[in-house]
Amino acid sequence: MLAEIGIVTLGLAFLAAIYAIIASVYGARIRSERIILTGRNASLITFPLLLLSCTALMAALLTHQYQIAYVWQVSDPSTPTFYRFTALWGSQQGSLLFWCLLMSLFTFFATLINWRRNRPLMPYFIAYCMATLAFFVGLVLFVENPFVRYWLTPDLTANSSVLAYLFIPPNAQAPEALGLAQTARGLNPLLRHFGMIIHPPMLYLGFVGFVIPFAFAMSALASGDLSTNWIKAARRWSLIAWLFLSLGLLLGGRWAYDVLGWGGYWGWDPVENAAFIPWLMGTAFLHSVMIQEKRGMLKVWNMFLVIFTFSAVIFGTFATRSGLVESVHSFAQSGIGIPMFLFWGSITIISVALVLWRWNTGRLSDERGFAGMISRESLFVLNNVVFVALALAIFWGSFGAPILSELVMNTDITLGKSYFNGVTAPLFVALYILMGIAPLSAWGATSARRLGKSMLVPIALTLITLVITFVSGTRDGGALFGYGVVIFAGYVAIYETYRGAVARRKNTGEAFPLAMIAIFGKNRRRYGGFIVHLGITVIGIGVIGSTLFQVETQRTLAVGETLELSGYTLRFDGLDMNQIAEDSRVMDIANLTLLRNGAEIARLRPRHDFFPQATGMNQMNIAGSHSTIENDFYVLLASSANDGSTVTLKVYINPLINLVWWGGIILILGTLISVAPSESVRVKERESVGSRMGAAA
Amino acid sequence: MATWEKSAISVPVRSSRSGERLKFLIGGLLILGAVMYLIISGTLTGASYFISVDELLSKPEYLGQTVRITGAVLGDTITYDTETLTIEFTIANVQEPYDDLALALNHAVNNPNASRIRVRVENQVMPELLQNEAQAILSGALDENGVFHASDLFLKCPSRFIEGGPSQAELSDMGA
Repeated sequence: MLAEIGIVTLGLAFLAAIYAIIASVYGARIRSERIILTGRNASLITFPLLLLSCTALMAALLTHQYQIAYVWQVSDPSTPTFYRFTALWGSQQGSLLFWCLLMSLFTFFATLINWRRNRPLMPYFIAYCMATLAFFVGLVLFVENPFVRYWLTPDLTANSSVLAYLFIPPNAQAPEALGLAQTARGLNPLLRHFGMIIHPPMLYLGFVGFVIPFAFAMSALASGDLSTNWIKAARRWSLIAWLFLSLGLLLGGRWAYDVLGWGGYWGWDPVENAAFIPWLMGTAFLHSVMIQEKRGMLKVWNMFLVIFTFSAVIFGTFATRSGLVESVHSFAQSGIGIPMFLFWGSITIISVALVLWRWNTGRLSDERGFAGMISRESLFVLNNVVFVALALAIFWGSFGAPILSELVMNTDITLGKSYFNGVTAPLFVALYILMGIAPLSAWGATSARRLGKSMLVPIALTLITLVITFVSGTRDGGALFGYGVVIFAGYVAIYETYRGAVARRKNTGEAFPLAMIAIFGKNRRRYGGFIVHLGITVIGIGVIGSTLFQVETQRTLAVGETLELSGYTLRFDGLDMNQIAEDSRVMDIANLTLLRNGAEIARLRPRHDFFPQATGMNQMNIAGSHSTIENDFYVLLASSANDGSTVTLKVYINPLINLVWWGGIILILGTLISVAPSESVRVKERESVGSRMGAAA
Repeated sequence: MATWEKSAISVPVRSSRSGERLKFLIGGLLILGAVMYLIISGTLTGASYFISVDELLSKPEYLGQTVRITGAVLGDTITYDTETLTIEFTIANVQEPYDDLALALNHAVNNPNASRIRVRVENQVMPELLQNEAQAILSGALDENGVFHASDLFLKCPSRFIEGGPSQAELSDMGA
């Protein structure tokens, strides 16, 4: 029954999306409000339908319906309830369905919120959103359906596989539930981690969220309303998508650090890069959109940025899900590769053609030119160029070079970490420098002298910090340079916020803390942005520290023996063997005591997990770590003697690594501040609603 | 506008002066040049060929050169020195092209005529996926003794990705 509910609601959602596209465009063309409204309602109904479909699959997972192939593949009777929820996105079919649900959720709210304010754009907006949704729902329905069930046929030999069909084939019968339960696969062990509960949904929200700004841009091109309306409508949604994408990337890094057991959080893996590229493009868009709003410039550039951000999202999804690249994240090879590639190609070509068409008609001309080399708009353009260069360099390294070499030279060339580190480091340095200078410049033009003057305090603070860092033992020239560049950007963010509050206090006579709160209320975007910059600074310090100063060692220890590393002492106290957890994994856990200057500071329990029922990947090393702002003392249980008398440990000290996570939290906080509407906007909205009501009365 | 906000020039400037435009053009070209230089030099120094075991053994010019290779892991040959964290194993050439990776790996492991290489990975915790018929993707170089010294080891275990269902026999034994 659950499978039938899932299939029918999925099919209805597909039909509703198709109808919404046709009705919206046709209604807009013949200016029929009634038809447009039916299109809108059809688009709105996709969300409840997909929610029902997802709920059916979730219910099947929770109630052990192993005759549904997806349930059989991602869970077994020992899977705890908690992981039954996360199994919804544990494999290709379920995660594609979940992806569709999130996309319909975004469209649902964006349509409701923007319906009145951006009325002329909405029919085309709906058409673009629904075209994307229809494509993905179509993939789920026709290629990767999670509601396929197993059937037995009497005429097949005993060793052949069971049949997998949506509906019962002729002469077939449903298999016994008990047999299916006993052979079920269980969730991939790598996915049994806290980070996995939240990392994929966040990343998907970030990915699908970019459909909203994309659809607004396309609706502006299609409707001919090329004012800043689409920018205003798209900006907040871009920020929301960006927020989730940032969160997804950060949580992915944390998951890798905790679960993959190599002491790092970023490996320039093609799939990581596929998620990072839209983030870079999206960040460029969030900056350049300000120039269009304030100065009426870069209209074409913004269109291209939003198109390529979304194009990167679809490409990333294609690369991850088609088996195109070798990666820890890859899904199985599947039949969705070609349709996804065609969708990606056509959506990119059609969008670019639309921009070029409007550009030719002169409707996308800039209202101003650049007034001077040193102006905020010039520096923002430079920042955009660096972001795009980073995205291109990473795309080239991950996909361009390997694919092109195969097609043209018939050899397979890959680019490793040395390429990514070598190419991106100078570009990141340039970005941090711009992050420091750009907020100090003015729109229009700034004299070099005035800009230099405003940099004095942040530079002085940076120098003082560097002297303290040098005196406290950091002598590496490269590290000091890196810290200097990164910290300068952070001081500018703090100093500009401070100056804002001081100016407000001067004007209003408020106390400093009140003035500080007031400036955040008045201009959330500006000051939220500074908090984001501060977060990026803290992340930068963490990345430099943990990359340049990581130390590692390995030793085999008998019970009572110790190892020494960078002033720490680690003692092996004993091994708890064959501990059985709730999900039936078998764990060997080493009991370790961490000491510093003779005093005990932590007990660590790195462990080795074995999953007797899992096929293929059936073991995991879970690190034990002691985390402080200063560093992470990270221990892996590499192996142990059969009698538990000795263990081999691999130990990393990752300096400042926790700043990466703390910086991430600051970044998220800053984005939340930026997303919230400013007081002045809320007042304006209240006034406009009031006046509309007055007019209606 | 509040006083602490920087002032904007209110007069629109329709077209930039030609001197300014030239400066932007030169600046843009310099940036483009720098980015191209970074990408090209990075590609030239960071690129490595992704080849099969057969290709590595048949072409002497690959000796000592950093390359990426792929092969099927022979489970019986895996040794792990827990003192030094040194892993050694043998991989067999996987015949290309193939439709089914799991089947191709199975053939490679069971084919006595497939060319094989001994692999040595130092200072590495035993990866969870290193097992019989796993696909190993390795970066490193071949020495004169025919041992491939890998600095990076990436493994893929296709059985994990097989999406086939249970067999009829399994169900009739247990369920029926």
